[in-house]
Amino acid sequence: MVDEEKLQKLKERIQTAKATDTPHQKTKKDSGAGFGFKISTEIIAALVVGVGIGLIVDKYLGTKPFGLIIFFIFGALAGFLNVYRVMRRIEKQ
Amino acid sequence: MAAKGEKHSPLEQFEIIPFTRTEIGGYDISFTNSSLSMIITVAVITLFLTLTVNPRSLVPTRMQLISELMYNFVAQLLNDTVGDNGKKYFPFVFSLFMFVLIGNMVGMVPYQFTFTSHIIVTFALASIVFIGVTILGFVNHGIKFFTFFYIPGVPFYMHPLLIPIEVISYLSRPISLSVRLFANMLAGHTLLKVFAGFVVAMPFFTGALPLVFIVALTGLEILIAFLQAYVFAILTCLYINDAYHLH
Repeated sequence: MVDEEKLQKLKERIQTAKATDTPHQKTKKDSGAGFGFKISTEIIAALVVGVGIGLIVDKYLGTKPFGLIIFFIFGALAGFLNVYRVMRRIEKQ
Repeated sequence: MAAKGEKHSPLEQFEIIPFTRTEIGGYDISFTNSSLSMIITVAVITLFLTLTVNPRSLVPTRMQLISELMYNFVAQLLNDTVGDNGKKYFPFVFSLFMFVLIGNMVGMVPYQFTFTSHIIVTFALASIVFIGVTILGFVNHGIKFFTFFYIPGVPFYMHPLLIPIEVISYLSRPISLSVRLFANMLAGHTLLKVFAGFVVAMPFFTGALPLVFIVALTGLEILIAFLQAYVFAILTCLYINDAYHLH
């Protein structure tokens, strides 16, 4: 049978491919720029939210500079919290 | 722009060009090159998946194998991050992953618009995830969902400080999710165009140098296109997981 031959050939090919295949090499390492980018977006995103809330609070409660100042600091801290979480997730892997 | 004899800007490729001018109730809903790109993406996904899986052969062809690999990839991802609860979110995560992935890939075709390079598109996608996950959290835990922002084992006087931080951290999720995808695509495509400009601008045959670089960059871009779709999918899975397990 032609099919048998074909299958046999395929089997051989699979075996040779398996033999030459290096055992699960880790090719994709996180590049420095990509890593820095990941961290910076986390901080910026938290700061954007913090400043946004601060401005809204100031607008509706009339606490002109203080809402922005306080929520800016909260935003910065939330940014660090985000970075900490990202780092923990990376370390887990 | 080119018709007026002006110089080509590397940012020109991101311009939205409306094909029709339609407005309903004060909202501009014109059919643009961005919409066209999205329709092409959805068409490519639908055609590819249905046509390749159509034979349903037990020993898959190469094309069927690609579809099955994609399916397995997302299924595995959901299973690893969410567990058994994750199975019912497979259609959602798979659609999202495929839309972003094929959208990025369609954008890699020359003269094709990349809709993922616009923050409003990625932000809309991230908002769907964010709002959906928040609703899911409330459905699963009811009012107890708010304990997500409460960290146990912390002195009580720290809570006024920690709760706003946790809330801001939670609200920053859609922003970081969308900015990451959008900025990567924007930066990559701009970089390609800038180097393409060098090919023309450099004297004699030195233009070949940036040309070689573009080839390498295109490969890198395809990797990033895949990686960003993967990051989008895995973060969606993690957020779904958070909606189930508050801590």
